[in-house]
Amino acid sequence: MALKFHFTPADTPRGGEDNPHAKASTEVADTVLALREVFGNAIGDVVVYAGEHTVWVEPARIADVCRHLKESLGFNYLVDLGGVDRFTEEGRFEVYYNLVNVEGQKRIRLKVRVEEESPQVPSVTGVFKAADWNERECFDMLGITFEGHQDLRRMYMPEDFAYHPQRKEFPLLGIPGSLPLPSQTPGGPLTMDPFAAARGSKPVKSYQEPQSTQ
Amino acid sequence: MDSNTGYLTTTVDAVVNWARSNSLMPMPMGLACCAIEMMAFAGPKYDVARFGSEAMRFSPRQADLMIVAGWCSYKMAHAIRRVWDQMADPKWCIAMGACASSGGMHRCYGVVQGIDNFLPVDVYIPGCPPRPDTVIHALMDIQENIRNEYSVLKDYQSGAQRLAPPESRPMMMTAEGVAAPGQGVAAEVAR
Repeated sequence: MALKFHFTPADTPRGGEDNPHAKASTEVADTVLALREVFGNAIGDVVVYAGEHTVWVEPARIADVCRHLKESLGFNYLVDLGGVDRFTEEGRFEVYYNLVNVEGQKRIRLKVRVEEESPQVPSVTGVFKAADWNERECFDMLGITFEGHQDLRRMYMPEDFAYHPQRKEFPLLGIPGSLPLPSQTPGGPLTMDPFAAARGSKPVKSYQEPQSTQ
Repeated sequence: MDSNTGYLTTTVDAVVNWARSNSLMPMPMGLACCAIEMMAFAGPKYDVARFGSEAMRFSPRQADLMIVAGWCSYKMAHAIRRVWDQMADPKWCIAMGACASSGGMHRCYGVVQGIDNFLPVDVYIPGCPPRPDTVIHALMDIQENIRNEYSVLKDYQSGAQRLAPPESRPMMMTAEGVAAPGQGVAAEVAR
């Protein structure tokens, strides 16, 4: 599991220029104030970029914040949930939650950051059923575990796959031998080399295959 | 025999291969956008019925030509190989499009970099996606292959020859490196 680590320089921030496409629906200053009143220090920085509010939340309270947003403030629709590998020393993984208040026509984005050593975030599936598969995808791709998720299996990769491919240190072409290809003849051994053809292996035509013993 | 009735001499190969090459039934393994072009190839405009291949068989038992159209993931590869193994002999395979032939633009961990890593491909079609007339060209190549190279003898090869091991064994690659006779990782690096 110990993979090579290559560091890439961070992009310079682009600054807070005005977004000509910004909508009034993303201005939710009053909702942020209401959250601060209830949760106090669990609500961290609030960033307004391009007319959109992003609220940083303490990871342990994210499910409570979501429940309050849904039940008291009308944000009843979880549009998206996903993870980011920022590839930094501190706060490496980020999980974002895009919520919509359908009645009030408002949008809010919540973010939590977790460390590489303990990438654990409480699950919000108890609040939003829709988070189920998003959290599974996030777990599959980044290895962030969602505590309290009823069925945290891999979403895309095979269940016995050992890595989390969207992590930055994962090589683009995968790890040879981790994803077997089918056998070259019926009943034969699995092809462990993903570039078998490039190394000269040529699957045989069916009439050249060994006779079936079954 | 009445001397007024004419007769014709031919070989079994000529008759059987003529019949086979003009009634190829494709198994459409449509995986991505190439499958749309494959539908056009089977549809009325390009009209593959002229070549006797209009009967797409979704059952592998009734098909003898697999057209793998689109990118193939490592997970899907096992299903494709299973369908291929279920197809009755003799059978042929077309890798349609850049992705099926080489991985194409999907140069990543989840997509097989060419289905020839696990399937014996007869004809590769370039293009992203290839035009339907290119697929017809590939079909005609397969027909040429059947008429000129294939022999019914191959259907009945049995005994010692069939019990012999396949021509080439896949090299096994583990996390430690290539574990197979021949070139190892060190030789790869040295080159």
